[in-house]
Amino acid sequence: MSNTSTMVTLTIDGIRTEVPEGTLVIEAARQVGIMVPHFCYHPKLEPDANCRMCLVEIEKIPKLQTSCSTRVAEGMVVRSSVPHVESARKSVLELLLGNHPLDCPVCDQGGRCDLQDFSHEYTPTVSRFKELKRVFPKQYLGPVIETQMNRCVSCMRCVRYCDEVMDAQALAAEGRGTITQITHWAGNELECDMCGGCIQICPVGAITSRLSMYDYRPWMLKRTETICSYCGDGCQITVQRKDDQLIEVNSALGAGRNNGDLCVRGYFGYHAAEHPDRVQQPLVRQADGSFAEVTWEEALDRVARQFTRIKATHGSDAIGGLITTRCTNEDLYLFQKFMRVVIGTNQIDSGARYGHINGVRALRRVQGTHRWTIRYEDLAQADAIMLVGTNVNESNPITALHVKQAVKRKGAQLVTLESLLPVRSTVSNITTLSKHHLEVKSGQFSAAILGLVKAVVESNLVQEDVAREAPEFVQTIRTNVAKVSWDAIREQSGLSQTDVETAARTYSQAERAVVLVGREVLRSLGGEGLVTNLMDLQILTGHLRRSGSGLGCLAEGSNDQGAVEMGAVAEYFPGPAGLHDEESQKTLTRTWGQAVPAGAPATLPEVLTRARTGDIKSLFIVGDNPVESLPGDAGVTEALDALEFLVCQDLFLTETAKRAHVVFPACSAMEKDGTFTNTEGHVQSVRQATEPLGESRPDWEMFSALSVLMDHPIEYNEVKEIFKEIRGVIPGYGLLGPASTPPKVDEKTVAQYVTSGFKEDVDQRYTLDASPAAPEGALTLRLVQSLYHSGKYSTRAKGLMEIEGEGRLHVNAREAGRLGIEEGQTVRLANDGGQATVSVKLNDRVPDAVAWFPEHFDEPVRALFSLKVDPHTHVPVWKTAHVTVTKWSSTNRSIEERSRV
Amino acid sequence: MKTFEKILLTNMERPEYTGSLADYEGTGGYKALKTVLGKTPPNDLIEMVKKSGLRGRGGAGFPTGVKWGFIPKDHPGPKYLCCNADESEPGTFKDRQLMERDPHQILEGIAISCYAIGAQTAYIYIRGEFRLAAKILERAIAEAYRAGHLGADIHGSGVTVNVSVHAGAGAYICGEETALLESLEGKRGKPRTKPPFPATHGLYQKPTVVNNVETLANVPHIVNRGADWFASIGVPPKSTGTRVFCLSGHVKRPGNYELPVNATFRDLIFELGGGMRSDKPLKAFIPGGASAPFLTPDHVDVQMDFESVAMAGSMSGSGGITVMEEGTSMVWAALRLMEFFYHESCGKCTPCREGSSWIVQILQRIMNKQGRPDDLRTLTEICENIGGRTVCAFGDAEIAPVQSTLKYWRNEYEALIEEAEALKGSRKEIPVLSLA
Repeated sequence: MSNTSTMVTLTIDGIRTEVPEGTLVIEAARQVGIMVPHFCYHPKLEPDANCRMCLVEIEKIPKLQTSCSTRVAEGMVVRSSVPHVESARKSVLELLLGNHPLDCPVCDQGGRCDLQDFSHEYTPTVSRFKELKRVFPKQYLGPVIETQMNRCVSCMRCVRYCDEVMDAQALAAEGRGTITQITHWAGNELECDMCGGCIQICPVGAITSRLSMYDYRPWMLKRTETICSYCGDGCQITVQRKDDQLIEVNSALGAGRNNGDLCVRGYFGYHAAEHPDRVQQPLVRQADGSFAEVTWEEALDRVARQFTRIKATHGSDAIGGLITTRCTNEDLYLFQKFMRVVIGTNQIDSGARYGHINGVRALRRVQGTHRWTIRYEDLAQADAIMLVGTNVNESNPITALHVKQAVKRKGAQLVTLESLLPVRSTVSNITTLSKHHLEVKSGQFSAAILGLVKAVVESNLVQEDVAREAPEFVQTIRTNVAKVSWDAIREQSGLSQTDVETAARTYSQAERAVVLVGREVLRSLGGEGLVTNLMDLQILTGHLRRSGSGLGCLAEGSNDQGAVEMGAVAEYFPGPAGLHDEESQKTLTRTWGQAVPAGAPATLPEVLTRARTGDIKSLFIVGDNPVESLPGDAGVTEALDALEFLVCQDLFLTETAKRAHVVFPACSAMEKDGTFTNTEGHVQSVRQATEPLGESRPDWEMFSALSVLMDHPIEYNEVKEIFKEIRGVIPGYGLLGPASTPPKVDEKTVAQYVTSGFKEDVDQRYTLDASPAAPEGALTLRLVQSLYHSGKYSTRAKGLMEIEGEGRLHVNAREAGRLGIEEGQTVRLANDGGQATVSVKLNDRVPDAVAWFPEHFDEPVRALFSLKVDPHTHVPVWKTAHVTVTKWSSTNRSIEERSRV
Repeated sequence: MKTFEKILLTNMERPEYTGSLADYEGTGGYKALKTVLGKTPPNDLIEMVKKSGLRGRGGAGFPTGVKWGFIPKDHPGPKYLCCNADESEPGTFKDRQLMERDPHQILEGIAISCYAIGAQTAYIYIRGEFRLAAKILERAIAEAYRAGHLGADIHGSGVTVNVSVHAGAGAYICGEETALLESLEGKRGKPRTKPPFPATHGLYQKPTVVNNVETLANVPHIVNRGADWFASIGVPPKSTGTRVFCLSGHVKRPGNYELPVNATFRDLIFELGGGMRSDKPLKAFIPGGASAPFLTPDHVDVQMDFESVAMAGSMSGSGGITVMEEGTSMVWAALRLMEFFYHESCGKCTPCREGSSWIVQILQRIMNKQGRPDDLRTLTEICENIGGRTVCAFGDAEIAPVQSTLKYWRNEYEALIEEAEALKGSRKEIPVLSLA
């Protein structure tokens, strides 16, 4: 809404108020403290005015009006509590209660139910309804979502949410009149995004979660507001527990950057934290190779002594450290401080190396800030949004919601460059909302992005002032792209000149345009260069400096962004500041009371190589799991086995932790305080929601304890003190609270870039590398992010495992037909690396000649992949392979399973 | 009864008339279309229809010209005309005959109306059960396209009108104009909240006029013979022209009768309909389809125009007159209609959805001699809480049979309840406590 909207004065129950034109009467009333009771109205949804509960009297209108659908008008006089309004309300309640079962004592909604609350307020205690109540036969909707249709008040909020907000259209009303019930299409088992939105938005207990059904009464629950740790979106969640048992996670309307919306991982994934496999005691490896549970004192002492010994014998650089980006800023900061100050090495890296670092480096280089210059609100206001290799609905589902809203509500033009087909199903697919969907061949984003720049340059879409101010920049790019033919681009990316030009025009000519870049670009070879090229595109079209326009790299880990900012990556000190940045060296020396180490840094692949070669004798791995995050030929196990001493600090005994000499039990994000920095750059409070499981402790406490034992005490009383120190090192870090203003583009950096900076690698960036052709008859196998999982952590969440419990090979129906395979059958995948037997699932959004496999279950197929390391940024790239597929058995397992049941 | 001239049924009442294009053209059909298309400014047509006093024949009786006038003139995108042929009102069967026997009369009306409002596309939303009518319409549309009466650049006028037939799937509510639009868009047929009205946000959120079949069939005649001629028939200025009344029930000759609207119910029932089917006297009649409150023999001399019927406490609605003789149980009649409304309530609004099921259950109990003394008060109150509290007029319609029978024949209800009270002692039942 524009700021200049006209105000309208009206009177509600004698209170005069002024609200913007177009406001709904029910909202105007809310603003003056009058809650008009309602069921079907919800601020996220278009008014439907079906429950008739919010009727009010409006002067000069003969009939009572629904305040949820009536907009304010100048001089309007509204009465919400006159007798005939109250009697209308009572009547609606009486009618609703007529068919409503009296199962409040066992209903999960009891105690927080709108029908209960309004009944308590408005109806007599005796019912006149003495007829038969409507009873629905029970329907099974699915493993995690349950419907209790007898309780339904037909407000259709769930159906509307599923359509208007999620764009899934997985729920529908079936039947007519009082026998209307909510089902999936044709009564099938629910197949959808499983966001839990229908449960959250139901005003009664008609749709509930099967994970906690009948387990609690709402008033028994203790609530904690914290941040979800499953992806970089950083959603605010309310964790609810009964005693120490996790009962439910939801999110209040308007809360956090997600505005109360959640995805399947946030809503149903909370059980991972209390999985029985959690490591609950410090473990020390015995002579026979087994682990023994020991006390903290013993474990810490052992580690401190070993680190001290190795440091003394082989020097500081014989020790390296790796940390996961699921850690809080405080943990990350303290880890790098521990490694730099106590150990004295710069050989540290984190999960940001898996791809996020590519984006950060490119942003820093071109625009001077490593953060987004836009925020979610800008997405909503954008005229055009371009998604490049994001698969945003799967990787960052809440960012996807903002995109959906921009398209559906504000009519933003969506351009998608994605390797998926725009097929509609009851699982939302962002590309079906596209105005221009460019189906990029898997892994060929380099050619696609080059095509975009070529189209902008050659279709006269370059802004005049850019051409004037930076003629050499424009000219160099022009010369470079001229060398690449459209045929070559089409050959590699599969995109035609016309399509690319149309998309480029839509993006260029939009007043406010946002580009979101995802893992397909960030996790590819030359990813930094690709993002830089997209930044060039922004410069050429004038979007870089325009307010409301910008480029964002989607962070996959909950604290990818924080890991970089805390200096928990090889190339940066906290800030992030370069390792040779004198200002930063000074600040850190002052704060830490000690000079920063001068040794060379080491990225994740370098750390592993040095371990293999024996240069690194000991590794401190916090939460990271390189054995399972890299393919077999990466030599991780060899590297770890070559170590003298390996310390792991983790929630679970992962394949990496199993090789450790000492394992420290760490807390999950639910069990500690701290902050996460989300993909937009918002620093948000993580709050302890449950007691640490067993003897597990927050990560930072272990670093602190070790430092004391190693005679280099870095001590804090509480986690807030670490944050205070971070703010000292990075001035103004983390303005907690509502959306802060995003940083601005640094003009000096941009000027430097367009005059000379770009020259460094522009020729390499604008050439097409010949991509290795797939062997004849081979299928491109890709490890992909599933909507229902996040890393390996989520495979410990029972709710998510109910939804997707195993990895299956996703191919589209055409491909399956070509291969002669059917859903549920088993196939054998093979290439030089090895072979694997997996079952098949049909998925029509998978492109032709491609098969997807969820990376969360990659164990059986990991041998098929081989590692390539980006020569420049050291990002490990390995998620694509070429395989031959042969039918292994024709037994249709799903049919078998069904017959067993 | 005075002599009068039929307008809509004249052609089809000739035995040799088949409704083919040749037959229709032979009686001067499509002359009006050729006269106005590209020649008369659209606005003049709208003014002409306004002046004729033509009112919607679907039930609400909204002035047609005024409705057309609401369509924004300068709207850049497409506009639509929807012909409401979802005739489902119990006791109403006029549109069916008009469509089956003289389809071109309707198509010509549609083409002229499209031109008047600037629509290039018209949809005939036809009741799913009207398979024959749909077939006939489709055949007629094909004929009209071939003859150049429909399609692009009609008779060189530069005007384009495309007409398609879309069959409903059996829901009464889809006769409600906004539910019709939802259904036409492929969604679940549920009424929309108004405003915005279809005139600005109709089909696919574009300006749309929804007119009844009979309304549109009148348009060519108004063009041919002038607004003044039409306005002189009936009860000018408010209710003009003729209507095709559908007579059913306990009469000797049920059927469709076209009469000027100033004719009385007595003219229809006793003269054209031949009076009661047996020697039993008239007890009650519904004057305008199932949604109209019952009237009594005291009302037979009421004129059948919109205002007069409204004055008598009912509505002339869709023009379906259902006659009941002495001996008919009015509680049964109310129950029968209520069952229909319960079955057809779309379920969107709480009062209509829940109220109709509750009312049906009470009426069933009363009929089964299990009524309770406070039932009548409950019935009255439920009805009061449905009327005017719903998105569409269905809520007002469904309470009409109950309210009007309670008004005129309350004694029949009371008698059944008294019987139930008397039987109470002899029945072994779990007692139901009552509030009082």
